[in-house]
Amino acid sequence: MSQHQRGATETQQELSLLSVRDLTVEFETDRGPLRAVDGVDFDVERGETVCLVGESGSGKTVTAETITKLIRMPPGRIVRGVAELDGRDLLSLSERDLRAIRGDRIAHVFQDPQHALNHCYTVGWQIREAIQVHEDVSDAAARERALTLLNQVGIPDATTRYDDYPHEFSGGMKQRIVVAMALAATPDLLIADEPTTALDVTIQAQLLDLLESIQTEYDMAILLITHDLGVVAELADRVVVLYAGKVMERGSVYEVFDTPAHPYTQVLFDCLPGRGRPLRSIGGTLPDLHDPPPGCRFASRCEYARKECHTGDQPPLYDVADAQTASCVYYGPGGDPDALRNGQSEGDPDG
Amino acid sequence: MSLDSPRRRFEDIDWEAKRGIVLRRQTAGFLTTLAALALVFAFDYVREAPLFSPNPVLRDGWDLSQLDWLFVVSLALFVFYVLVPLATHRRMTAHYWREFRKNRAAVVSLGFLLLVFTLGLVGPLLVSKPQVELTQSYQPPVGLAVDSSVPLSCGGDVVDGRCHGSWQFPLGTTGDGKDILSLVVLGMRVSIRIGLITSFLIISIGATVGTVAAYVGGLVDEVLMRYVDIQQVFPSFLLYLLLIYLFGGSLLMFILVFGLLSWGGTARLVRSAALQRSEDEYVEVARCAGAGTGHVIRRHILPNVSGTVITNLTLLIPGLILFEAGLAFLSLGDPTIPSWGQTIAAGRSDLRTAWWISTVPGVFLFLTILAFNFVGDALRNALDPRSEGQR
Amino acid sequence: MRWYVARRLLWAVVATFVILSITWALLYVTEQQALTSIQFQAAVSGGDAEAARAAYEQQRGLDRPLWRQYADYMTNMATFNWGYSTSRGQPVTAAIADALPYTMMYSVPWTILTVAFGLSIGLYSATHQYSRFDYAATFLAFFGYAIPNFWFGIVLLVLFGVHLDLVPIVFDPDAPVFSLANARQLVLPVFVLTTGSIASLTRYTRAEALEYVEATFTKTAKAKGVSERRILLLHVLRPAAVPLSTILVADLLGLFIASSYLVEVVFGIPGLGQLSFKAIQNQDTPLVLATTLVGVFIAVVGNLLQDIAYTVLDPRIDYGDR
Ligand code: SF4
Repeated sequence: MSQHQRGATETQQELSLLSVRDLTVEFETDRGPLRAVDGVDFDVERGETVCLVGESGSGKTVTAETITKLIRMPPGRIVRGVAELDGRDLLSLSERDLRAIRGDRIAHVFQDPQHALNHCYTVGWQIREAIQVHEDVSDAAARERALTLLNQVGIPDATTRYDDYPHEFSGGMKQRIVVAMALAATPDLLIADEPTTALDVTIQAQLLDLLESIQTEYDMAILLITHDLGVVAELADRVVVLYAGKVMERGSVYEVFDTPAHPYTQVLFDCLPGRGRPLRSIGGTLPDLHDPPPGCRFASRCEYARKECHTGDQPPLYDVADAQTASCVYYGPGGDPDALRNGQSEGDPDG
Repeated sequence: MSLDSPRRRFEDIDWEAKRGIVLRRQTAGFLTTLAALALVFAFDYVREAPLFSPNPVLRDGWDLSQLDWLFVVSLALFVFYVLVPLATHRRMTAHYWREFRKNRAAVVSLGFLLLVFTLGLVGPLLVSKPQVELTQSYQPPVGLAVDSSVPLSCGGDVVDGRCHGSWQFPLGTTGDGKDILSLVVLGMRVSIRIGLITSFLIISIGATVGTVAAYVGGLVDEVLMRYVDIQQVFPSFLLYLLLIYLFGGSLLMFILVFGLLSWGGTARLVRSAALQRSEDEYVEVARCAGAGTGHVIRRHILPNVSGTVITNLTLLIPGLILFEAGLAFLSLGDPTIPSWGQTIAAGRSDLRTAWWISTVPGVFLFLTILAFNFVGDALRNALDPRSEGQR
Repeated sequence: MRWYVARRLLWAVVATFVILSITWALLYVTEQQALTSIQFQAAVSGGDAEAARAAYEQQRGLDRPLWRQYADYMTNMATFNWGYSTSRGQPVTAAIADALPYTMMYSVPWTILTVAFGLSIGLYSATHQYSRFDYAATFLAFFGYAIPNFWFGIVLLVLFGVHLDLVPIVFDPDAPVFSLANARQLVLPVFVLTTGSIASLTRYTRAEALEYVEATFTKTAKAKGVSERRILLLHVLRPAAVPLSTILVADLLGLFIASSYLVEVVFGIPGLGQLSFKAIQNQDTPLVLATTLVGVFIAVVGNLLQDIAYTVLDPRIDYGDR
């Protein structure tokens, strides 16, 4: 989708559709507060696809669900940060105003289609609900719209299946219905949280095609959360790499794929089958988010880690290339990025 | 999750592999105890008189009944299958304890239940059956005073026309002069008997029926489960009423009726766990290695449901204790055994003047039930983390 | 689905039949026992054991063949020919009809209050998990469950009836149903029963609702922009109603039958519980039998209704599987 890419660069001076700044979210747990998302920044432009990438526990889902405050609060708590939709901060909106945004301008598709639909109501009822929440239309009109949507997402026999219950559909079909529901009010932004993870491989491909086609049709931006780099390659315009609640790297899909800058991204992409280097598993574990160690979050697993990686804060996002930034000291003043590209460590190995 | 954290649960531990010898010793211990009991019982039965009569240990007025035999068997089961495993699997016990300790109310409750258990167990050694003694009726508890017209003769000091309680009867006496402290201690006996014996019945029958239904399957399964259906529908309370009407009430009957009619839920639980587990890989492996069905049930299926079953019991037992008290209150219980409900009923008409008679056993009953609830709540969290959030 | 309901109906009939048969067998055993003791007594007092036996058998209809006795018993049961209550001097069915309104008088408000409070407290607790209200509700639930109904009843009666003189101590069966006097004398029984039964419903509602509050479909609904209240009522309560209907019947019905005994005796309400209790005391066999069987039928019908409710409430139910 290179046309979106170009569009995004041209309108850079304008207001972004969604702009997340310094988003920090904590969860209250038995062992004290857990900082799941820590100072995350990124933008989503109109009509483009941005992928949030990272392993589980990196804060992708929390980031996505905080934008419209879907996380449960408590135990969740937004410590600071803003999420601006057309320059209007969603996080400080009243619940009532936020409700008007949810589903209307920002829609969600979740990971688990098996449980995303309420088993007590027919799918028709649930799509109609999505329509009528935002628009005062008659049941008949809403039904018409719902049928159109069902047709659009590729449910065969939509008219007869309108009154079926969710358990009468397969997983892939359910996810299509969820997508239809998300489209009910023609949103500007679709947040899709691992929409294909729970599905079969062939169904996955179909669903991704569906997302692509509706994106063009509705001229809708997509914030796609995934750990599947194949999906990223296929759909994304831009990529945001998260690790332990922090942004590690941001850039266009080409930059990140061709020349991954951050050591974490490099390891992540080495895991991709079909790449030159043999599969490497990342040693070590995620840092404890209750009490993260100082310095770079990735330091305990990074093979390039130097002394300064273990002190101070997470390195800022240094410019790497055109639109690519990485949070690594090697791109900072006095760092030598080439050391990373060549795969040799300049620090002492036990550091 | 780090590798060395003791996150393993009851369920995860292949008991056989780890502690085979201990377990076998434990079973042997239980069987030996059972055999010894059977011998004594047979001897008793043949002589047609209690073993030691008059009884040298228990204070006057007590002798062994069928209920006591059943109780001792349940106690043996409890010792060998709850206490011994807890003592041998130290690390696991420590882990549970850590989880359990998080709930402070539950720790206090556990302490209270232990007290009730101990007193209920050794109660007959300490107190004799309370006797009617009209001269010492209506004595107030220590620290309280009533108008001296209430008791026939005040056992403590009389100050300003008010009779103060004395240490002779720390919790006071009833209208016919029975020591309430003894009544309360003896009431604990009833509670622990109900608790232990019904648990024993429910676990043994429920587990047997559940596994048989799951393993034999087919018609047997169908018949057993249909029977459980009927049993679940039938209100045990009404059957008990009918039975006491027809045959007279006794604690043994209470325990048998409720124990024998309450295992349905456990059986269903064990059955579904067994059906699920029998498809599990490690059960397959155990089978291939030549383990018999009995082995699989004991080592793999029962440990698996133990958490849920124990938690259910902590909810069921207080219900039964409450029930027994209610029946005793209606004098539909066992007239020969002093129980809390009986004492509450005895003090009912004196509530205006001698309010402590009903209140003291009422408070003990209340605390016991409350303690069971708190312990059950904490146990559920410790043993069965999946049901987090359920109370 | 119709087939399923029909099967459950048939099942209820079979269950009733089995229960009646068991009751008959129990009665038969006791009659035999009574017979032995009569013979024994007759022999001890120098009478003719055989004659005594024959007389007793004749009087009780025990001289009929066994199958006849059984068939007659079942026919009588089926035709509501439940015998004559000697202690009350009226037919058993009439005695039950007299008592039933008094039981209804407190159990209807009780059920309504329990369901209303139990559901709303449970729901609120689930949506405000670990809040102060949640802890308070849990504690209250424990308290209500743990406090023995009958004891609580007599304590309250002394407190409000004797000391504060707010409610009458003696139940007046002649008070008009919808009158202040009747309301006053029913307040305490209803309160005591509700505190006792609210606990389990609250706990179950909380647990079930919690499952759905955290469910993905609730999040879907929220993401659609549906309001909190609508989510709670339509997306949480509706699915939770399925398991709750089971609990309502299984738990509350048992509690209902047992509590009605205690509460009616404590508060002197001349309902079914007291009728049955007095029948036991007075050795009035037909009445004992009839009142217990009424309880059993209530249980059977309750279970049937629950099964049917299940099919109506949960579209996923697999009719072939049950
Ligand atoms: S900052 Fe240091 S530890 Fe972090 S990624 Fe860069 S080199 Fe590795």
